[in-house]
Order: sequence, then C-alpha cells, then structure tokens
Amino acid sequence: MASTLEHYVNMVQTMSSTGNFTQLCDFINKSSDMLAKNASHLDNVYATLDIQQTSLGILGILCVKYSLPNIPDLETTLIQTTEFLAKCNGEHVRYATDNYAELCHKFAQALVERKMYARGIAPLVQAIQKIQIHPAQLTSIHSSLCQLCLLTKNMKPALLFLDIDVTEISREGGHFDAKDYLLYYYYGGMIYTALKNYDRALYCFEIVITTPSVAVSHIMMEAYKKFTLVSLILHGKIISLPKYTPQVLQRYIKPLCQPYMDLSAVYTQNNLADLRITVSKHTDVFNRDSNMGLVKQCMTSLIKKNIQRLTKTFLTLSLADMANRVQLTSPKEAEKYVLHMIEDGEIFATINQKDGMVRFHDNPENYNSPNMLLELDKEMQRCIQLDEKLREMDREIAINPQYVQKSSGTHEDDLPGTSTGPGKIQAY
Amino acid sequence: MPLAGFFQASLEPMQVDVVEENQNVEEEQHYVVENASIDLDHYSSQYSGLARLNRLLFIAEHCNSLKIEALRMALNYTMKTTFNTSLYQIIHHKLVLATSGQRVGSNSSSNNLPDVAPVNSVDTQWVEVTSKKAALKLEKLDTDLKNYKSNSIKESIRRGHDDLGDHYLDCGDLSNALKCYSRARDYCTSPKHVVNMCLNVIKVSVYLQNWSHVQSYVNKAEATPDTSSENSKDINQTISSRLKCAAGLADLATRKYKSAAKYFLQVNFDFCEFPELLSPSNVATYGALCALATFDRKELQANVISSSSFKQFLELEPQLRDIMSKFYESKYASCLTLLAEIKDNLLLDMYVAPHVNTLYTQIRNRALCQYFSPYLSADMRKMAEAFNTTVGALEDELMQLILDGQIKARIDSHNKILYAKDADQRSTTFEKAIIMGKEYQRRTKALILRSAVIKCQIHVKSPPREGLQGGEMSIAPASASSIVRN
Repeated sequence: MASTLEHYVNMVQTMSSTGNFTQLCDFINKSSDMLAKNASHLDNVYATLDIQQTSLGILGILCVKYSLPNIPDLETTLIQTTEFLAKCNGEHVRYATDNYAELCHKFAQALVERKMYARGIAPLVQAIQKIQIHPAQLTSIHSSLCQLCLLTKNMKPALLFLDIDVTEISREGGHFDAKDYLLYYYYGGMIYTALKNYDRALYCFEIVITTPSVAVSHIMMEAYKKFTLVSLILHGKIISLPKYTPQVLQRYIKPLCQPYMDLSAVYTQNNLADLRITVSKHTDVFNRDSNMGLVKQCMTSLIKKNIQRLTKTFLTLSLADMANRVQLTSPKEAEKYVLHMIEDGEIFATINQKDGMVRFHDNPENYNSPNMLLELDKEMQRCIQLDEKLREMDREIAINPQYVQKSSGTHEDDLPGTSTGPGKIQAY
Repeated sequence: MPLAGFFQASLEPMQVDVVEENQNVEEEQHYVVENASIDLDHYSSQYSGLARLNRLLFIAEHCNSLKIEALRMALNYTMKTTFNTSLYQIIHHKLVLATSGQRVGSNSSSNNLPDVAPVNSVDTQWVEVTSKKAALKLEKLDTDLKNYKSNSIKESIRRGHDDLGDHYLDCGDLSNALKCYSRARDYCTSPKHVVNMCLNVIKVSVYLQNWSHVQSYVNKAEATPDTSSENSKDINQTISSRLKCAAGLADLATRKYKSAAKYFLQVNFDFCEFPELLSPSNVATYGALCALATFDRKELQANVISSSSFKQFLELEPQLRDIMSKFYESKYASCLTLLAEIKDNLLLDMYVAPHVNTLYTQIRNRALCQYFSPYLSADMRKMAEAFNTTVGALEDELMQLILDGQIKARIDSHNKILYAKDADQRSTTFEKAIIMGKEYQRRTKALILRSAVIKCQIHVKSPPREGLQGGEMSIAPASASSIVRN
C-alpha cells in the first residue's frame, strides 16, 4: 500500500525537478484511482510534497480528495485548497488547466453546499489571476467566483474581472464548457443589475442569449427574461438583437417567456394603468422567476419615461396636470418623482412650489467645457484602441498558414473544421 | 350549373389567377348615419350595374332614414336590368325586415308614416323566368364559344369569352365573370383588346374588392403600347381616365392616400365616364380629401387649386371647393366646420367611408401644423378659437403632434403659449456622435468576444441522451438547478 504512494511521491518529485510536466500530468491522471484507494493516507502525501516545487502532484491529490464521496475531513481539505491556490506555482499548474479548474469548481461547490460562501472569494480571485495568461482571458473559474459573489452579495471582487472585456478564452484542455461561459455572463448580468449598471448588465445578458446554440438552455431562457426587463428599464423597449442571434431564441425561447412579451407589449403603450393590470395578471410567474423586483423597477421606469416625454412637449406644466397625464395619484407624488429625476440628472427642470408649476429646461450641456472634451477624447481613444485590436486580429488571420493555404485555393480539400475560426472572423 | 364542369375540363388550358374574394375586405365598422342629405334618385342615376346596387345597399346598411327607399330602388333595378335572382331574393328579404321593423316602430309611437307601404311578396314568377332565361343564354353563349373554338378564330373566341363574362356579371357570379374575362387574355390580338380585357378584369376585381389585382391590371394596361394612330384620341383619353380612376380607388382602399390623390388629379374631366365604378363627383370627393390630407401647401396650390381640369370636378361638389379654398386661405375654423357638415354623406359612400376618420384626422393635423408653421410663438387660446376647440383639447392634440415629430415646438402650459423649438444642431450632433461611439464599442466588443467563442467552439447543444427525442424542449448542459437566484 504505502509503496505505491511512495512511488507516486518519487515520480512527482523527479519529474517536477526535471521539468517533464506533460508526462507528469499523464501520470497523475492515471494514478487517480490508486490515490482514491489510499484516501486515508493522502494527507501524509500532501505534507510530504512541497507546494511550490511539486504543485502538480498536490493538485492531483486535492482533486482526488474532492471526488471522494462525503469528502472526509472537509475542513482540512478546504484549508489545504486555500493554501494551495495561494502558493502553487503558476508555471506548473498551467500544464493541467483542466484539473486546476475542476479543483476550483469543486472547492466552490463544496462551499456553496455548506453555505460558507465568503471564504471562497479571495482564494478564487487568486486562483484566476494565477492561471490567466493575460487579464482579458476568460477561464471557467470566473463563473464560480461570480456565483460566490452573488451569494454573499459582495459584488466588488467579481467586478475586478467583469469590467475587463474578454478577448480570449482559455481552452482548458477542451473541457471549457458552454455552461461556464453562459453562467459567467448570466451571473455578470445579475451582478451589474444589482449595482444598477443596466447598460453593462444588458450587454452581459445579450452575450448569453446570442451564444451560438442549437438547443434550449435554461440559462439562456432566464437570461432572456432578465434581458427583456432590463432593456425596458433602460431603453423603454426591447432593443434589437444582432443578426447572429441563434434561431432557437426566436423559435423556442420567446414562446416560453410569454408573460414577459406581454409586459413589453403593454409597456410600449405608455399606459401605466394597463401595465399594472398586466403585472398583477402575471404576478405568480414573475415571483416564481424571482424577477418581481425588476418588474417593479419597470413600472417606476415607465413613470419616469412618461415624465421625460412631457419634457419634450412642454415648457411649463403644473404638477396637478402632470400627475393627471402620467396617471399618478397626487401632485405630491409627481413632485417627488420630478425631484428625484432632477437630482439624478435624468431631466432638467425647476419646480416652482408657490404656484405648483414645473418648468422644463433644455440640456445645459453645450459640449464646449474642458471636461466634456476630455470625456469625448477618452471615448475616441477607446474606439481607436478597439480598432487597433481588430487590425491586430485581422493581421493574425492574414498570416495564419491555414488561412493562407485556404484562401490561395491550392488545397480545396482542406479539413472543414480547421479554419472555421479565422473564416468566421473574416466574415465580420 | 351543369355546364361548368365540362366547360372547365375541356376549354381550360390556361391558369387564371383568381384570388380569394374577401382577402382585402376590411372589417366593416358598424355605425349608423342619421342626418344624411342625399337625393337617392340623383345619386343612383350616376352609376350603372353592380356599382349602383352596391352603393344603394351600402346606404341601406348604414342609414335608417333612407333604408327602405334605397332597398326599393335596388330591388327595382335588379328586376329591370339583371339576371341576378339571388341578389333579388336577398334584397327582398332585407326589405321585408326593414319595413316590418319600421312598422312596429311607428305603431308604438302611433305615428303611421304614409310611405311605408307593405312590400309585395317575392315575385316567384319573375325569379323562375329570369333563371330560365339566364340558363338559356348561358347555354347559347357557351355553344357559340365552342363553335368559335372549333373554328379557332381568335377574335371570335375573345368576344365569346367577353360575352360570357358579361353574362356572368349580369347574374352576379363575379368569380366566374373574372375567370371568363381573364381567359380572353390569350386571344387578344391587338393592344386595344388587351386594354379592354384589363378594364374588364379591373371592373370585376373592384367589385370583388381585390385591390392588388386592380393595381396589377392597371399597370398591365398602362404598359400596353399606345395605338393612337388607329384609335381616335378620345378613346385613349377615356381609357386612361378609367385606369386612373381604378388605380386611385385601389390606392385609396389600401390607404396610400397620397398616390390615390395623384391618380384622381390626373383624371380628365371631359372623358370621365365610368358609371360602373365612379361618378365624376366621386372623383372630386376622393381626390380633394386625399389631397387635403397628404399634400403640403405648395403641392395643393400647384396640383389642385390651379389645376384647370380638377377645377371642373370641384364645381360638381361646391362644398368641397369651398373647403379646399378655405383650407388654402388658412380659414381653418370654417374649413373644419364645412368638413364636419359633409361627414355624414361621406360615411354613406362605400369606398371612402372606412377612411373618413383617418383622412379627417390627417387633414386636421396638417391644418394645425400649417397654422403654426410661420410663428415662433403662438397663443393657444387664439389657436383653439381658430380650430373650434378648447385649449385643453388643443393641448392634447399638439402634444401628440409634437411627440410624433410633426411640429417642432414646446408648450408653455402655464401661459398657454406654444413656442417653436430651436434645435441646436451642434449639440445634437455631439449627442449623436457619442451615442454612435458607444454603440460601436459595444458591438465591436461583442464581436471580439464572439470570435473567441467560435475559436473555442463553444455552443449550446443538447446532451447526447436527450438529444434524440426531439431537440425542441431538451435541456441543455445547464440544468435549472445550477442557477443561483438572488
């Protein structure tokens, strides 16, 4: 018994020191059964191996420990994982990104099951930063981090990653699943929604529902529901989706979200009373989907939108008249809304309390202040950077041997799968 | 109709594009007009054939005071001029219902009207004789046509088809009439015949309210090369006027008011004889209303008011002429009052009735826009006066127009003044540019991400087990249990 473990330790140590990592990964994957049989001694092996020098060996052990039924001595394992994620050698573990990601998922899952969400956040942040080649690379660990952040209602750590626009996805040995991708952006959308950054939230949900797909995913469906609501709150209508949106959405998902479609149809009529009726009709569905909060925000946003419409048509308007036109109960309520909207910079107006009149102004922004120009310049820089990124990608494709071969037309019987990536990008 | 089957089997080499009858017929609104001032005798004498019957029936449907008279006239006309026994029976039935209803009503109010005479019972003899006559004529025409066919004289075959079509039309069998008329197409030898065939098809299609058909045949007729050398100019003028009438009618029915107006304005007054479809005063009404609703001031001046040929039409409808000039002189209050006066009569016109409200709203909106266009600020009280309305109602109307972007202005609700809005081009350009930039960034980022996704071949697919049993509802890798809800 002990001899096989000793053999494992020896192999790991020798191969790590000689830098023979690919073979080592194979060896570790093959010995997982053996390790599972010797579960009781794994802690000893863990203690024997050095985290920095033989990260891969430890990774193998930890993975096995999480795969055991009713993880024995969980607390130790969690501490060991935290320690490992903090101290392991990034260079080494990058040879086993699939195992590494699996470990992180299982770690997060174990914490979720035992409701100890908070203690997972810091280790996972470290874990992601360690495994990423550059900050704009997406790993499957991202989704677990977002899940933990949502559960603790502590959004900041996730923003660290969400605010960076992904340009590359880690393959993780072919184990990167569409589920992790969808979940990351779905959770991301929820995080941004919670922070009321609706623009960004809408972007995340849009990414989820435009993911190439041939089957109905529940994540996509939930995302579409939230997409509808956030789009209504932000734009007052369902924004149009890009052409590459999968057909599944139109054909199967939309019919499954009928209450939401009803809601948006009524919303565009700008009639608050009708909206209330529709909402109360579908309250059960909204509550079941846990979207009631967003639906309520939709109603508020309709009131705001109607007030904004008034600013386009009126220079002055009495509060009573406004309450009447927007279907509010009293001038007092109208005043409250106008006040909040002025404070938030959503409309430009002054209230004359003496005679109860609201006077609407034009947007005072004349686009000639230094601050505004700076802002403009920043926007332009961002566009230029994006453009450069596109050029770079274009160049990469242009010098890709497969692409050159295909486009020069010498090998027409090229494998179809090999150049789909470059071909697609070219099409855009 | 024992012949029909044989007829179709033996002689039908060509496909006839008969379209479903009620395809374009809109849902009839139910309304009743009380104060109509139409002289039915004069009115009905302007039309012939089915047009007269249809119009009379339409009036009967929508106007109680004229109902019985209209039905009586329709009944007599049917008996005198057509073989249409089924229509006769329908009208008779309606008449019986109407008179009995009226008598009950008048009895209860104990005020017996003198002209409510009991209706004769169904003239069964007439029905029988007419049906027999019709069948005989049909048989004769059919054998004639067969003879022509066996002799294969194109001209005679064409005439045979036309005659048969005429007969079907007389009997009220519109779809068969359409078939016969369109069959004549293959035997047309001269452009004149083609145009004739088109006119026939157009006529029947109008009765069938198949407007797309009307439009396509108008185009076809207009595309036929002109043969002015052999034909006298007058005939050409008549034909083109008829085509314009039909095209205008079709555009009106399909709510393309502007092009309808243009067509009606092109009709030549001296050659406007189309009693199977329209009377000249119809042309005046339809043309004037559509023009008022869709033309701007300049177009109105150039195409309507100073048009010598349309002036003659307007003379037929003096009220409309007044409306037109009042509108042009910006006397909107009297213009709108006059319009309101003729509204009831318009509602009894079967072609314009469904569009009256839309056209009136458009005319009113246009008037509001025109009224305000020269001003920087306008007193809404005066404006309300000019439009015969209250300030509150005017405010709502203006609000709608501003939201639609038809008037660029804002309302000072406190002082009741409408101010023109001076758009700052520079600011709007900046605003637009920023929005465009944001949109570009958003799209590009999404695309870069998408290229990464495609590179990694990430896509949602059915799990292998459930994939086989119909992919529709299969659950993708992510099951609901893995979704955390906050």
